Order: sequence, then structure tokens, then C-alpha cells
Amino acid sequence: MKQLTPADASLLELVDRLLHKGVVLAGHATISVAGVDLIYLGLNVVLAAVETIEGKQERRAS
Amino acid sequence: MTLIAHAIAPAPRGSLDGEGLRGRPLSWSGAGDIGLWSTHWDLADKLDRNDALEHHRLVERICASQPCLPVRFGTAFPTEDAARASLASRSAELRAALDRVAGKSELAVTLLWRESAGPGPEASLSAGPGRRFMDERRARYAARRDRKARAGDLAESLLAKLAIERALVWCETCTSEGVAVSLAVLVPSDQANRWKADLERLAGGFDGVISVVNGPWPPYSFASIEESGGSAPRPPTDSAAWPPS
Repeated sequence: MKQLTPADASLLELVDRLLHKGVVLAGHATISVAGVDLIYLGLNVVLAAVETIEGKQERRAS
Repeated sequence: MTLIAHAIAPAPRGSLDGEGLRGRPLSWSGAGDIGLWSTHWDLADKLDRNDALEHHRLVERICASQPCLPVRFGTAFPTEDAARASLASRSAELRAALDRVAGKSELAVTLLWRESAGPGPEASLSAGPGRRFMDERRARYAARRDRKARAGDLAESLLAKLAIERALVWCETCTSEGVAVSLAVLVPSDQANRWKADLERLAGGFDGVISVVNGPWPPYSFASIEESGGSAPRPPTDSAAWPPS
């Protein structure tokens, strides 16, 4: 398990709010990108955070 | 033309210059005493990470000009009429939620475990594989319970020091392996910087965790309206997590 850094935590907190909070307008609304695209977006951000952590660890090790 | 929704605001619309996502027109769809800010969009274009962050900046601009409820990113309407109909069907709840967040901003506090959860004590090598498996599992569960209890104590302690009304707080504990507490508070926008400094000082005083305070930003965690029609803040997703037992 990799440790989250404060910078990663800030990004993930923000993305969590964009994707999981806020008003949900359902019924008449079409959640057009609630499927694959948003899952991809979420994974992408998490992966980016992991890449950042790994990059820092590699720099520290070298 | 599809609309990508950004925020709901009271009518009349605030004076807002500028463009929506990717430089496209930002539009206002009024429905009675509320309305929706959105970007004209072509569904053939896929939303990506940059669009999510641009949505956040747009919501910040809207909330800076008038009270606003952020809409969850990715919400789209096929037409303006569909957007208006959606607002009209829940206008009372939306109006109440707008009144609740007017003049307020959200601050987010995250407490990260300073140490990652260890593998637990080594099981005795003389024990058989079944016994070792059970011992390790028991140790893992005990460590998880201890962390959950510690996270609950941290959250309670922080809230006690803040002395803030519980309705203005959103709190979850142990949302992931590295996170002890994820907490949001709704504070007056004109006092947000003072509150932020207080939160940084208070959250920075705990042993064993690293504190991160973000915001002020739009009231994402306090914008939900209940399916039942209520307008109270959405309860934590893990109801067992709050209040801590």
C-alpha cells in the first residue's frame, strides 16, 4: 500500500466531490457519461495520483 | 444541442461573463425562480479529466457571483426544455437547498494516517497453515477495528474543538486505506479564510496523522437533495461510520 501525500489527497478530495457529490438531477435528466467514460476518468485520476507517488519514491530512492 | 450542467442558481441570473467548457457558450435556462448554468455540448465529444477540473472552475465562478448548487459532473440534458422540466419538478427542494448554502463555502479536512497499516504480528511458525491463516486474519481485523475507533475519536475531537452545528458538517472515517477522516464543513464565505486557519491549527495538532485542509470551494458536500424530497445534508454513505460508536 502506497502512502497518500497531501497533494494527492487534495486532488482526490476534489475529484471525489466532482464525481460523487453535488446535486443529482435524475428523472428527466440524462446522465450521459455516467458509464464507462466517468469510470475511466476516475481511474485516470487515481492512476495519475499513483504515478505521482511512484515518481516521488523513485526520486527519493535514487 | 445537449447541455452539460454546472450549477443551479436563483433567478434572475447573475452577471457572468466568459465561456463554458472548451470555450463553448455558457447558457442559462430559467425555470421559475431558479435556473441552470450549463455548456452547449456535442455528445460526440467525450468528457475527460480536464473537463472535470474546468467544470470545477466554472462552478467556482458561478458561486462567486450568486448563491449556487453544484450539479454532479457529467449530468447532461438533451434539450433546454428537458433541463427546465427537471428543475421545475424539484423546484421547492432546490430552492430550499439554495437558501441553505447561500453565502457559504465548503472547507475540506482530510486526516491521513502517518504510518501505513502494518502486516500485523508474525504468526508462530510452529502453527499449522490453517492456524496461521486464522491468527493473521484476526490480527488484521483487530488492527482495522483499532483504526476505525481511533479515526472516530479524531473526528469527535476535531468537531468538539470546532464547536460547530452538526448540520453544517459532513464526516466519514476510514474511507480508504490511507485516510483516517474526511470531513467537510460549511462556513460563511466571508469568514472562510479565518475558518481555514483555525482548521489547519486544530487538525495539525493530532498525533499519528497528517492533516490537509482544502478549499474554500463550492458547497459540493451540502448540495444534495434527498430522494424523499427533504433538503437536509446527505448523511454519510457509511452510516455506521458516523457518529462513531
